Amino acid sequence: MAKKSTTIQANTYSNNPVVISVKNLHKNFKLPTERAWGLKQAIFNRLKGVKGYKELKVLNGISFDVHQNEFIGIVGRNGSGKSTLLKTLAKIYFPESGSVEISGTLVPFIELGVGFNPDLTARENVYLNGALLGFSNKEMDAMYDEIVDFAELREFMDQKLKNFSSGMNVRLAFSIAIRAKGDILLLDEVLAVGDAAFQQKCADYFASIKGHQTVILVTHSMDSVRKYCTRAILIEKGKITLDSDPETVANAYQKLWS
Amino acid sequence: MAIPNFFYKGNRVLLRELTKTDFKLRYQGSALGYLWALLRPLMMFAILYIVFAKLLKFGGDIPHYPVYLLVGTTFWSFFTECTSQGIQAIVNRGDLIRKVCFPKYIVVVSSTLTAVINVLINLIVIAVFALIDGITPTWTWFLVPVLLFELYCFSLGIAFLLGAINVKYRDITSIWDVCIQALFYAVPIIYPIAMVATSSVAAAKVILLNPIAQVIQDLRYCIVTKETITTWSFVGEEHFIWKFVPIILVIFMLSLGSWYFRKKSKKFAEEI
Repeated sequence: MAKKSTTIQANTYSNNPVVISVKNLHKNFKLPTERAWGLKQAIFNRLKGVKGYKELKVLNGISFDVHQNEFIGIVGRNGSGKSTLLKTLAKIYFPESGSVEISGTLVPFIELGVGFNPDLTARENVYLNGALLGFSNKEMDAMYDEIVDFAELREFMDQKLKNFSSGMNVRLAFSIAIRAKGDILLLDEVLAVGDAAFQQKCADYFASIKGHQTVILVTHSMDSVRKYCTRAILIEKGKITLDSDPETVANAYQKLWS
Repeated sequence: MAIPNFFYKGNRVLLRELTKTDFKLRYQGSALGYLWALLRPLMMFAILYIVFAKLLKFGGDIPHYPVYLLVGTTFWSFFTECTSQGIQAIVNRGDLIRKVCFPKYIVVVSSTLTAVINVLINLIVIAVFALIDGITPTWTWFLVPVLLFELYCFSLGIAFLLGAINVKYRDITSIWDVCIQALFYAVPIIYPIAMVATSSVAAAKVILLNPIAQVIQDLRYCIVTKETITTWSFVGEEHFIWKFVPIILVIFMLSLGSWYFRKKSKKFAEEI
């Protein structure tokens, strides 16, 4: 079967330096079998000699290299381990074994608008969000205008976020994500936001950075994979089952349940 | 590594931004705003003053008793605010911890720094009250920041330790509320330590080994009156080593808290 074989296609980026090197990554989650929350149950379980949880292998030996300027799409069904992989790359989760080596700054967007507070103004939120991503105020000053312009929200920047519509909110968050100056961008399911005009703008933007910036994108949209990615990885049950060009992976993904 | 990390610029920026946010949002939507940072401890002081000084006639022979009491209540409020906010910090900021990678101790420190800002504002009030009450400032006033730092370290140690446990066992929040109530009576804030000493010298000594009691008595010694009984003066020369127990407890608590927090912080993102 073609999809079980792991083939790495030689592409134009394989000569670029490796910016992310993932080696044999394992990550387990402990799932409580009964209500193991609270002190009482914990003591009870200890006394009975019950573990109180079962281990779920979310990542089961993942290895791959990312070369500079590759736009990698990570696809797979719900619960296949995509988001866990992304969080491990972002160092939010620590793997049981295996290693992740990253050269350069990595800007993770597991969710848009992390730490956004409705009672702060849009401007304050941009700086807070930037600080969370590791940018100093000076670095944010440099990016600020671009972010505001891309979001097209200049006249609203001194308004509190709670007065924003959800569309404006997500536009601001998204603009920070794509304007943040990092070497590597991690994005989880965030391509289509805002109204049609803004979506078009985002699409144009992604098309323009293809081949110029290292991006890792987790998505369910095969259209996005085909359009923007230079390479795609299919994950099933915590293992890479296909690592190939976008077209091949998109087709394999769509065949998963047909 | 907690200390070297602090000098990394990004961490300092984040700490400043989070503290700013916490402080800005603390009194959001209240008519009096930041004034509450002053009013709350003053009101608590007023209640205790009426009940204990006026009705129960505590502290009759202590000079400048109102200021003496105010110092106690202010720093007690600082301790309770610091610890309760610090313990809650990781859980309250769960959204951040699940989505971005940053040193987790920053949220604990930032949430406790609000209490530090509050106590600094209240120190001005204490100074004003002290001057009105006819206390002459002495050079020992300059020792106040050192004592504040000691109490802060102790609170931070507790916040780190219990905050880390609180991620998995939220019971800690409720347990700590009760502990605070009990501790309030174990520290000579409303009653003068001399009152305990008259019935049991040993009990008074035990009370004074508590770092909170030591700091508050030392603060009173520094700010209000040199007649204050302090741990240093009360624990006799024959038990010289015991005089260092409070400071050892502070160092122990901070080390234990930081060590445990660091050990557990890798799993916070999964467990919250």
